[in-house]
Amino acid sequence: MNASKIGTPLARTQLGALAALLLCAQMPLWAHVDHWVAFAGTALVVARLVFPFDRNNLRNLRRWLLPGLAIAAAIGIRVEYGYFIARDPCVAFLYVLVGIKFLEARGLRDGALLVCLALFLALTQFFYAQTILAAAAAIPALLATGVALAVLRTSAGATEPWRPHLTRTVRLILQGVPIAALLFVLFPRLAGPLWGSPLESGARTGLSESMSPGSISDLSLSDEVAFRVEFTTGLPPPSERYWRGPVFSRFDGAVWRPLYKLRGGRYVPSAGRPSDYTVTMEPHGKLWLFALEHPTGPPRAPNPDAPAGAPTEALAAVTYDQQLLAKAPITQAVRYTMRSATVGTFAAVVNDASDNLQLPRGNPRTVEFARDLRGRSASDRAYIAAVLDWFRTESFVYTLSPDILDRDPVDGFLFDTHRGFCEHFAGAFTLLMRAAGIPSRVVTGYQGGEMNPTGEYLIVRQSDAHAWSEALLDGKWQRVDPTAAVAPSRIERGIGAALPAGERVPYLARIEMTWLKSLSLHWDSVNYHWQRGFVGFNLERQRDFLREIGLKGAPPWRLIAVLAGAAFVWGIAVLGFSRLRPSRIDAEVALWRRACRRLARAGLERRPDEGPLAYADRAAARWPAVAALIKDIAGRYATLRYGPAAGRSADVVAQLRTSVGALPPARALRATPQPA
Amino acid sequence: MATLPLSTSWFARAKQRFWRLAPSDREPVILRHSRIYILPTRRGFALIATLVVMLLTAMNYALSLGYAMTFVAAGMVAAALLATFRNLAGIASAPVAAGEAFAGGEVTFTLSLASRDRERTGIVVSTSDGAPEVIDLPADATRPVVLSVVAPRRGPQPLGRVTLSSNFPLGLWRGWAYVHFPLTACIYPAPETAPPPLPTSRLGIDPQRAARAADAELGGLRDYERGDPHNRIAWKAVARGGGWYTKQFEGGSGGGALDLDWSELPPGLDEESRLSRLTAWVLAAERETRAFGLRLPGVLLARGQGAGHRRAALTALASFGQPKPT
Repeated sequence: MNASKIGTPLARTQLGALAALLLCAQMPLWAHVDHWVAFAGTALVVARLVFPFDRNNLRNLRRWLLPGLAIAAAIGIRVEYGYFIARDPCVAFLYVLVGIKFLEARGLRDGALLVCLALFLALTQFFYAQTILAAAAAIPALLATGVALAVLRTSAGATEPWRPHLTRTVRLILQGVPIAALLFVLFPRLAGPLWGSPLESGARTGLSESMSPGSISDLSLSDEVAFRVEFTTGLPPPSERYWRGPVFSRFDGAVWRPLYKLRGGRYVPSAGRPSDYTVTMEPHGKLWLFALEHPTGPPRAPNPDAPAGAPTEALAAVTYDQQLLAKAPITQAVRYTMRSATVGTFAAVVNDASDNLQLPRGNPRTVEFARDLRGRSASDRAYIAAVLDWFRTESFVYTLSPDILDRDPVDGFLFDTHRGFCEHFAGAFTLLMRAAGIPSRVVTGYQGGEMNPTGEYLIVRQSDAHAWSEALLDGKWQRVDPTAAVAPSRIERGIGAALPAGERVPYLARIEMTWLKSLSLHWDSVNYHWQRGFVGFNLERQRDFLREIGLKGAPPWRLIAVLAGAAFVWGIAVLGFSRLRPSRIDAEVALWRRACRRLARAGLERRPDEGPLAYADRAAARWPAVAALIKDIAGRYATLRYGPAAGRSADVVAQLRTSVGALPPARALRATPQPA
Repeated sequence: MATLPLSTSWFARAKQRFWRLAPSDREPVILRHSRIYILPTRRGFALIATLVVMLLTAMNYALSLGYAMTFVAAGMVAAALLATFRNLAGIASAPVAAGEAFAGGEVTFTLSLASRDRERTGIVVSTSDGAPEVIDLPADATRPVVLSVVAPRRGPQPLGRVTLSSNFPLGLWRGWAYVHFPLTACIYPAPETAPPPLPTSRLGIDPQRAARAADAELGGLRDYERGDPHNRIAWKAVARGGGWYTKQFEGGSGGGALDLDWSELPPGLDEESRLSRLTAWVLAAERETRAFGLRLPGVLLARGQGAGHRRAALTALASFGQPKPT
């Protein structure tokens, strides 16, 4: 029927190349799409290869089965994700769709469409991971794209072996790398997304906008990196490494939440020995930036070239409870320099107190205990010391798996179970303060961090997440960490040292330095440079780079001119390079040409219609002294080139090479007088 | 490279430079950048559109690796453009021969393609009408390309503009170049399908004898003389090394010489029909190995025999009433 319209059906090799491409594009997504999606999409691709579909089958497939499959996949994905028009379900749908399309692919046009779809599919893995491994996983897909295009070039392409196609693709990609690198650094980066929010819900781990029992202990099970810090001044001791994050003042008896009114605050004055450092933060989708308590100035984009003290753009503003909040959610890795005075106190802003005295109903035993203890203490400070002492002397257990308490959880924790994690201690302590009339609040963030011995930077992981308290004493907010009273080793040596034996500690947070951990620290160091140099190449880094090469603030036409000029140079270079490269000719041809060139330079050029033997006769007559040699060269060449295949051997080629090498230089030949 | 004379207008020269509409390529043409055009194929456009979508995605989601992958793919597409150019640049093409055919048949033109310094893959040689030829050339090779073209009418038929194109290596770009050689084939009139028997000569040859000529029997051999028709040489004897002889037939030739005269055809026939009948008669006379003369208005061909004579007669019929070739 429509044979002419469809064209030649895809041959086995072409189907094979397409299947290889589709599998290469699908494979990196296996870890990111649902199991059944991964299975279905890949099974469809394999099915086409395994089962022979003749044309009639295909026609029926096209008409009924494939639309049905597509609709079923769409419905399944809609049910699985709960929505359809979003990034993840669309990736999943495309993943299955390429399989369905492949099942019915018939002609070259279908093949080309599949190549386009597969190339895009191969990109979508970067939604989920931009690690070195993810980059490596994209390489097979790119190579397979080239091979598939080459095999699909003509319907006759089916008969050619795929290996030369692969070599050629590798060559094309390598030739294109300079253009790719140039585009990578010069193509303008955007400050924000073009449409919608690029951040998907629940995609990232990190501190959340509220604190309830369990929220930080859950986080403590993760080895993921929160941020990395390079110190230009000395590294502060672990007990001073409090990385301040979200601050919670409102408590409803179970959950701590932030205040709504976040007016501007003041940075603390620089005092003592301030720390200077640069933070490279992984995206977490929230507004806050982390800094050592307490920052003396806003976080700024690092600019090594600017003269010291020259102001650069501030990346965040400080609130009156000393949180650093960026203008937009942190959706890509961000780098900023900070200066902090490692002090435990900072001056309160006026009218700060009333918000932090609010006491919810419930937890009556706690309130009674607090009032009683305050009554027996001489001052607020003595009361705080008494509470911490009480924590220390009572049999409190620092654990990741506390009991779950429904009613009056603080009462239950303080007086019944005695088992809790830092959020329990911080929350209970804050409540004890408020009940005694001392304004206080909960601060969350990270505490500690581990020095990477190879990369010379501090890694702060999610397992370093922490919560502590802050109390207002004499007009200053004073940090109080009740966890330090119960488990001092948590503060000094990290969670791995503080938890009792047998607790489920994330591997990299453990205290012993195994070879595996050392290996993983090395790997982290590699990843850190990868993230900084490559993945983190954003608007700011691009600006830095352009400033470095003197194109900063250049009008777009200049960038375009640079690109065009570079593309021209590149084209000439690639074309010229291929000219320099010797074309693949047989050894004897090269040798014979060399001999001919030498004789021509000596004044006797071979006529276009002259065979090797005739030319050799003429040359032998001109140079009788080397007549035998010339005739030998021509004779061997003629044997190799025109003789029976049996006469071809490496020996003869070697002898030819020796003879050509023995030919006198052109100058000497030219100097030979003409025979009479 | 041949160009139009400087006296023609710049516009005509530019048009010729871009489209090669006139057969001005005289010597072997080496394809250079000035002749080679490259545009994306449909597939190329589709892939470039895909790359744009990938770029937009990378921009929106701030995917550094997305940018990198898009640009590496774009680099590959750009390198493929150069490879397409390189595959065509440097090819030397030259006219070799124009065939002959009867109107309504297919005529062949032969060009030669030389790969020169490098291997060439998937070179498509095509004319405006006729099936394209695809050829691969190893390095340093010269190959003939035979193009079959439909010959609708008698008379001279120029080859016309030939397009050399290739979408090697990835099928994303199509590069092409025009060459236009002054290669002209001679198309003979279509022979009448069922012509009346050969006319009797005015010399009074017995028609019965003439009719029997087709069944002539081999009578013997005589020594070869220069000018004897090829199809009467005793090739078997030559192959055996027994010398050159010419076959003689009993009752066939000899008295069979005849004149084919335009003016003796029935008056009701139009010009093309007359030419067709004369063509058929020329072929019949040659088949029967009879010498014949041809008389057309303004053309007189003395009696003769053999391939050369046949060609001369057919050419005269083909170009009857046609303007003289320049």
